[in-house]
Amino acid sequence: MIELYHVQKEFRGRRVLWDVTFQMSRGEFVFLTGPSGAGKTTLLKLLFRAERPTDGQILVNGMNVGAMSPGRIPELRRTMGIVFQDYKLLPTRTIFENVAFVLKFLGVPTQERKRRAYQTLRMVELHHRLSAFPEELSGGEQQRVALARALINEPELLIADEPTGNLDRRLAEEVMKLFTAINVRGTTILLATHDQDLIRGSGRRCLTLDRGRMLEGLVESSVPPQAPHRDPGTPPPGGDAP
Amino acid sequence: MSGQRTSALVALLDEAAQGLWRARRMTVVSVLQIAVSVFLVGVFFLTAENLRGVVDTVKDESAVTVFLKPGAAEEEKAEVERLARESRLVARWRRVSTEEAGARFATSWKSLSRASSSLASSPFPETIELDLLPDAIQSEALRGFLPLLATRKGVDDVQFDVDWIRRLRGAVALIAVWGGAVGLFLAVGAVFTIANVVRLTILLHRDEIEILRLVGAPEYLIRGPFLIGGLAQGFLGGSLAVGVLYLSFRAVLRYVATTHNVLVGVFVVRFLTPSTCVLLMVGGLLAGVIGGAIAVRKKHLQG
Repeated sequence: MIELYHVQKEFRGRRVLWDVTFQMSRGEFVFLTGPSGAGKTTLLKLLFRAERPTDGQILVNGMNVGAMSPGRIPELRRTMGIVFQDYKLLPTRTIFENVAFVLKFLGVPTQERKRRAYQTLRMVELHHRLSAFPEELSGGEQQRVALARALINEPELLIADEPTGNLDRRLAEEVMKLFTAINVRGTTILLATHDQDLIRGSGRRCLTLDRGRMLEGLVESSVPPQAPHRDPGTPPPGGDAP
Repeated sequence: MSGQRTSALVALLDEAAQGLWRARRMTVVSVLQIAVSVFLVGVFFLTAENLRGVVDTVKDESAVTVFLKPGAAEEEKAEVERLARESRLVARWRRVSTEEAGARFATSWKSLSRASSSLASSPFPETIELDLLPDAIQSEALRGFLPLLATRKGVDDVQFDVDWIRRLRGAVALIAVWGGAVGLFLAVGAVFTIANVVRLTILLHRDEIEILRLVGAPEYLIRGPFLIGGLAQGFLGGSLAVGVLYLSFRAVLRYVATTHNVLVGVFVVRFLTPSTCVLLMVGGLLAGVIGGAIAVRKKHLQG
């Protein structure tokens, strides 16, 4: 589903990702972790072509993301759902509109739009708040709406960037249960978080980034240990990476 | 697939309408700016068109009037008619008797006819009217022909002001050129106003644009509502201008009819032709489309 080979990323000559290589299979649920500034968000942005790699190859669903023309980016993004820490909900639109908005522009007829929005909101247990506005919801509920919006187009891949970053422990666990449920239905999930408690005991594979370098690549692990497992010959990360 | 396209088109129109409504104050300003621009161009067109009509009327009815002295001999009248017959400038001629001239006056100036009939003798001299050929007014030969008539025996005066018609024609051309130039200037202003309004709408929708991009909405669906918004503003502005122009024209005509009724009937005043009205509306629409297109250039949409 996702394959990265020797991916590098520089911003104005400053390298933020170093020789990142990993693969993810269809249906997997993988955590991407690392401290703030490790390059998690940049890596995710490369996957949905918000950024282009400086070097290396990225394949998502068989599409060569780095080399694709701008005109094909929408096609790539329609195969995935994206969830952000700050939800990115439209404050002037109702919950239903926020979720169905995407389908409206993809030319889905009104009735079908309503049916799918209701079903998706039901999945995140917010079908009773259809006409509420985002500001009327708690942080956890808002994140569930954002999750519903990401899922409404039935994506094969879900990318989440710190989806629990703004939530307290209880709400974070609720949202994580939803991610698990979504994965059980067959959606591949790559979830970036710096919250080690969420990863611990999950039994999921975990990729660790530290100052732009992938410390854990293909290791099946419940929790990554402190020491790096991969590429011991690589010199320690330099100070020029974030 | 076509149903999906129809739904997407409906979504585009819906979003465009919502965008205009959310930035309604700016939308109104933009529509008014276009309306004012198109209205002023329309005023120039209307003035030029009617002045051209006046020139055509004057040209078509351009008769050289040869006033004869009282008691002019038949040979002297025949001499004038011979010159008319031999000239390549004259289409036809006719004698107008004092009685006929009096009857014409009475028809045109009903309120004054009683005063003229109370006079002991007719104030209207006998004349010979010479209808000129269509292109005669342009001919330099006319300058020599008129003095030739004036110096004939039995001729009191020759009335025909060729310079006045030429000046009027020049004025019409000038108004048309100025109208075009001012129109172009105003149109450019309108285009930039619309571009700014659409850009403002884009700023208001920046979050939505970002989300649409993230979910893979095609570019035409992202830019479409803004282009449609510009187009709608242009069309509304153009239509409003033509409507207001027509109402103003009717109002001015009614005012002139009640205060300067002697003018009504002398000149045929008419509104713009339907094709010119459509042209003005299309001009407004084009201004809207161009303004919208400027605003949705990639650099403005990248946020």
